[in-house]
Amino acid sequence: MLRVTQTKNTLLDGATIDSQLYTTPQDCEDFFESIEKPTTVVAAPRPTFIRVGVLTTVRGSAYMEYGNTKVMAIVAPPRELIRSNVRRVNMGVINCYVNFAAFASDDLEAVPEREKHLSSMLTKALQPLVCRNEFVNFQLDIRVLILDDDGCLLSTAINCCGVALIECGISTYDLITASTACIYRDHVFVNPTAKVEELLWQHRAGNALLGSSSKSKEEKEEQKDVQQHGLLIIASMETFEQLAQCQQCGYLKPETYVQLLDFTLEINKSLRQLIKRVLTERVKEQHVLDMREKQLEHQEDQRLAAIIEKLQQQGLHEFIQSNIKEDPYTAK
Amino acid sequence: MAYVALSEAEKTFILHGVEEDFRCDGRSRRDYRPMELETGLVSNASGSARLRLANTDILVGVKTEIDVPNPLTPEFGKLEFFVDCSANATPEFEGRGGSNLAQELILSLQNAYESPLAFDYRTLCLIPGQQCWKLYIDILILECGGNLHDAVSLAAKAALYNTKLPRVTATLLDAGITDLIISDNPYDCTRIGIDALPLLVTVCKIGDYCLVDPTAEEEVCSTVSMVVSVSMRQDTPYLSGTHMTGGGSMHRDTMLNCIQLGLSMGEQLNKLLLKMLQSEETRVGPKRPKTVGFLK
Repeated sequence: MLRVTQTKNTLLDGATIDSQLYTTPQDCEDFFESIEKPTTVVAAPRPTFIRVGVLTTVRGSAYMEYGNTKVMAIVAPPRELIRSNVRRVNMGVINCYVNFAAFASDDLEAVPEREKHLSSMLTKALQPLVCRNEFVNFQLDIRVLILDDDGCLLSTAINCCGVALIECGISTYDLITASTACIYRDHVFVNPTAKVEELLWQHRAGNALLGSSSKSKEEKEEQKDVQQHGLLIIASMETFEQLAQCQQCGYLKPETYVQLLDFTLEINKSLRQLIKRVLTERVKEQHVLDMREKQLEHQEDQRLAAIIEKLQQQGLHEFIQSNIKEDPYTAK
Repeated sequence: MAYVALSEAEKTFILHGVEEDFRCDGRSRRDYRPMELETGLVSNASGSARLRLANTDILVGVKTEIDVPNPLTPEFGKLEFFVDCSANATPEFEGRGGSNLAQELILSLQNAYESPLAFDYRTLCLIPGQQCWKLYIDILILECGGNLHDAVSLAAKAALYNTKLPRVTATLLDAGITDLIISDNPYDCTRIGIDALPLLVTVCKIGDYCLVDPTAEEEVCSTVSMVVSVSMRQDTPYLSGTHMTGGGSMHRDTMLNCIQLGLSMGEQLNKLLLKMLQSEETRVGPKRPKTVGFLK
């Protein structure tokens, strides 16, 4: 097997730059053994950084780091629907486009499908948020660029878009927050990293779950107690305790579903506090900038007023004469 | 979903009907419309089913192919869903009009069938790490009368029940290369276990009430609906994928109610579907002809 020595990087909080070319089911097993399994679930968000208004090219933009997941969202003001593909609805249309940066994912083959999936889920999550009745016959384009993927992609994208929408001045019913939780071999992971999500994904987990076919005895025991595994993404709007989107995959008992749901709602609550603070700070910052601009305008007005006053006192001809610098050529 | 023009008065009428637990076609909120199911009608496919749920008409064909398994899951076969929205269903589907809806259906089916507990991918394994079956499940939507998710999943499950994989024997040649011999006898085949295959149940919220099996008109009236994928294992229902559609939001408690309703409906549907499929099989299914003499 090909193995490359792993490089440590301080910029990425000591995360390793991973360049393992081939993985086998055994590697997944080893990885699961190696990771820290949380004994008690702490329903708190990861270290988060949100910056609103990062681009000058569009009205609404936001950048968000959720742990090592880095996402940028861009919202342009609504524009008129192109006649040919109008769906006859009395609501505005939301189009979301999610794109991976070329360096964001190492599994390039799966990118187009994931983009499609994320786009459609994001559209569904944002539909209840935006007051779509305010721009009938208009469409709202929301673009998301994923710079780095370390799990919780969809929930981070939803959070980021929610902030960008507000920056763009699109009216929304509430603030939206989203988070992810998953369960794998009886361990609950909140905010799962990309590696943990990968374990769950594409029935890679399945091999481990069902056990190798040789262990028939164990299999029979397992059959009695079905091993649950699954991922839950919840987007919520706290004011009226509404859930904007819930997406679940995997295989879960209804009771486990409720358990995961409550964890995500808890995280959403604390994320909401953070987003609120970021937005109020943004408004304050905008206010300071506005004040400064006003002051500059005021100074300019004063200067002009002084000139006009001078003009009135001197009369037009004299004023022009006094302001013309002598041309060295005509003087000769 | 396909578009139906409804006036405010019509919407109010439907809404009031739902509140009274007496819908336009006389059903209660927990009733399904009559279904017609037929399996094994496409001779070119390995398995097929046609489902007619009132006005919704679905045709599913299953094709098989031999493929190489994913190195991470050497013991697993593959499934691929494809949905085609025929322009016969609605003029809206002309050209690429239906691609969004098709994409949504494909994603929810993929999501539901993703877990190895929902579909035992190991039954599709021929030689671990080398050869496996790949099933193409082609779904054709012939008419759109609402509740596509449920109809599509029912038809897909029936088609998978009907699927016959020819028996394959392998001979080991030199240098570890295996040669597959596929049985010529059409009766010499293996079947796919469908006990745990998930069914999608759409729970639709109209006004303050949740209902199942919405018609196209009711879909227009609903603010939000929830697609619950139910998989039965040892007589207990499991969730193998849920999501919300329809552009609305709902309260946590409403959502849990929807899931409960979906699970109980899925359980009943599953039971009935299995019963009907088995009774069809015994009545009109292929009978093995008696072999006479040395001719097989």
